[in-house]
Amino acid sequence: MSGVVLTIREPAGPPIDMTGVLPERLAEGGRKALAGLTLVRGRGRHRLDALFTFQDGGPPGTLILRPGGAVLDGVGTGMTAGDIGVEGDCGAYAASAMRGGTLTIEGSCGAFAAAGMAGGSLRVAGDAGDFLGAPLAGGTRGMSGGSVVVMGDAGDRVGERMRRGLIAVHGRVGSLCGARMIAGTIVVGAGCGPDPGQAMRRGSILLPRAPEPVPSGFSDGGMNDWLFLELVRKELIDGGAWPSGFPTAGTRARRLIGDRSAGGIGEVLILSEA
Amino acid sequence: MRLNGVHIEDTFAEAFPMLGTRLVITADTPAWVQAAVVSMTGFATSVIACGCEAAMERPLPADETPDARPGAAVLLFAMSKAELAKQVARRVGQCVMTCPGTACYAGLRDGPAIPLGNALRYFGDGWQIAKRIGGRRYWRIPVMDGEFLCEAATAAVDGVGGGNFIILAADRRAGLAAAQAAVLAIRELPGAILPFPGGVVRSGSKIGGKYKGLIASTNTAFCPTLRAAVPASLVPEGVESILELVIDGVSEAAVAAAMRVGIAAVADLGAAGGVVSVTAGNYGGKLGRYQFRLHEVMA
Repeated sequence: MSGVVLTIREPAGPPIDMTGVLPERLAEGGRKALAGLTLVRGRGRHRLDALFTFQDGGPPGTLILRPGGAVLDGVGTGMTAGDIGVEGDCGAYAASAMRGGTLTIEGSCGAFAAAGMAGGSLRVAGDAGDFLGAPLAGGTRGMSGGSVVVMGDAGDRVGERMRRGLIAVHGRVGSLCGARMIAGTIVVGAGCGPDPGQAMRRGSILLPRAPEPVPSGFSDGGMNDWLFLELVRKELIDGGAWPSGFPTAGTRARRLIGDRSAGGIGEVLILSEA
Repeated sequence: MRLNGVHIEDTFAEAFPMLGTRLVITADTPAWVQAAVVSMTGFATSVIACGCEAAMERPLPADETPDARPGAAVLLFAMSKAELAKQVARRVGQCVMTCPGTACYAGLRDGPAIPLGNALRYFGDGWQIAKRIGGRRYWRIPVMDGEFLCEAATAAVDGVGGGNFIILAADRRAGLAAAQAAVLAIRELPGAILPFPGGVVRSGSKIGGKYKGLIASTNTAFCPTLRAAVPASLVPEGVESILELVIDGVSEAAVAAAMRVGIAAVADLGAAGGVVSVTAGNYGGKLGRYQFRLHEVMA
């Protein structure tokens, strides 16, 4: 049995909350279970098959979404297994609270992507909004597992309060990248806005050049070899996610350690100065 | 059975279960890898007095190691999980972490966890950093030449210890040549090690002895100099030197394969090379769970 392709019937209109549209549901209850789901769009509640057409397509168990310009929020929210592909853009909360499986977005996604994520993999071909890998609104725990790769830019507060996992952004990120980070790794290919790592306790932020200015809570530890970078690079190169501007050999980098004002021993590693 | 004029005795090697693990050690150069491995596997010939048995399994080229540097795979065996964990922590802590530029990774994935970085991280005095990469956890421990990168844990495997065969040779030179040929052949195989110096034992032992409290004493039956004095001597006429190879492996199959290639290498030298016969050490089948019959191994 092949996968299912869901194509939006009427792109124009308010955002659609896609929470619950998951490959697990397809695997458990088949198309019928999926078609009978109630989705919220604006003030209205609609059956899924009233908003989308069904077609066969893709590998077995895979869910492919064709938003056609509609804003789809919460794609892959709470997902535990399987694959979702989005042939276009996503709205907010893509892969939020995700625990397993893979979400691949061929376009861009909005704010709070991978917020509260605990496992699985998110790959975004375009840009991502603010709060990528941050806590869900009102929450205190950022991303605690899994991996996120954004081939374009990302907004402010990437990886805020992140506890574990890997975020790789090939383009630029906004301000406060890794703020209040507790652990994990953030790789930024093209530089960041102000105040990366503010109040971070532990964790690693890999940048192509030193932030301007260097945040006040960070001390310059100078150059050294960081063997774990080889493992990170291997992991990302294997997935085609190592930023193109980063060195493909060597483990030297300049290390800023902080945020000492918060008692932290996190690090900002600057790779291009190797 | 005769192979190339060498008599292969119809007997068996008696081996026993051990718990083993594999570590991968890397460094900047093969020389520093060697320095770490030699230190770490030192004084690890026999569990009788060393706590564990350990040796390098094989050198690893840079494209086979996690950090793309030269490395080596090392196997360690002990009689219990607790002892294995103790020996791993002590030896990695004192011999690998101390060696410039090294890193240490797990060489096995499946099985009961043996703490590696998890046991050594406290050396970082609070400055150590845990890092999860590709689903595996590492510890970065600050040291005076940078950082010691160490995987959090390795895994234990049910192994086999004490696989062996004994070479009876016309003289010491012939015995050494045969033993060294066997060592070279066995070291080509994965999954097995020869924990004794140069892979060879000259002081094979029997259980107990005439002195009270002695766990093991010299194997009088195989001492050529005692042939005329010991009634139960197993040294035939024309044999002046006897050497033993002891093999530990990650499985029964690995030990059997090592014995096969080792004995074959000895037999290749043949009677013309001064090899008289090959036998094996056992305790009458009373001690070990595993019995490797030489004729079956060489069939």
